[in-house]
Amino acid sequence: MSASFAPQCTEKKKSYDNCFNEWYNEKFLKGVATVNECEDTWREYEECVQSALAEKGIKKMLDQAEKEAPFKKNGVLTGSEEVSFTKDSKN
Amino acid sequence: MVLWYRSEHNYDFNFATVSLAYFIRYPNPFASHVLSDDTIERFVDAEGKLHSTRIIYKQGKLPRFVRPFLKKVGGTWILEKSIINPQTCEMQTWTSNLDHRRILQVHESAHYKSKSLNAPSTSVRYDVSFSSNFGSWGIKDRIESWSYTRFGENLNKSKKGMFFVMSSLKEHGWNKLREMQIAIKHQPIVEE
Repeated sequence: MSASFAPQCTEKKKSYDNCFNEWYNEKFLKGVATVNECEDTWREYEECVQSALAEKGIKKMLDQAEKEAPFKKNGVLTGSEEVSFTKDSKN
Repeated sequence: MVLWYRSEHNYDFNFATVSLAYFIRYPNPFASHVLSDDTIERFVDAEGKLHSTRIIYKQGKLPRFVRPFLKKVGGTWILEKSIINPQTCEMQTWTSNLDHRRILQVHESAHYKSKSLNAPSTSVRYDVSFSSNFGSWGIKDRIESWSYTRFGENLNKSKKGMFFVMSSLKEHGWNKLREMQIAIKHQPIVEE
């Protein structure tokens, strides 16, 4: 797997990614996931990444892009769905 | 003007493999310009769909003729969103560049779909738009058509990368894929 953009977070990222990918493949896809089993590794990784994002000044860029994103409406990718679904239904 | 690109593709892999490969597609031999990916948000909604937000850092690729307008040429940050519905075997993804947005915005969305979790193939449709807000002397159009022209080639590479990850998963298993990924070296920065 890839490194984190922040070298100090790469090990934490690896632990989290390993946990998540396993969970995704073995539980989530099979419909047997009841709880998020990667909460512990996520918390450590997230904390590391969020502070690195703030330090590097990427957060501002991120917020701006999120604001301009054409897709986000109640968490649904609307921009792309308009394209994929409305055109389908006309065919 | 905004340029649009549409492309459809079929992967001969089941939805489980394709969607997992999407998360673990870096590094691969066809994406040596990708330096990092980080998950910054992830949750399962009330309907059981998995939402993820990642940021990816790539070596910069912008046309030479815009270089005089840049403070510095470095990498590019990409924002990636994905929503996976395991019940309908659908994955919707969306990516866009985070920086250099005045020069060029590339929005790429992809819709993956399969009949069932273990059906042997998964289709994907890519819809991509290129738009520039660059203000002067026809540069805007040049930037859009430059990126449009390059895109087919880039998409080809990303399909090859996905194929590499999926076939390695299927043929050699996950552990072997991890070893192969560790061995992949990043390209030094190449100016175009």
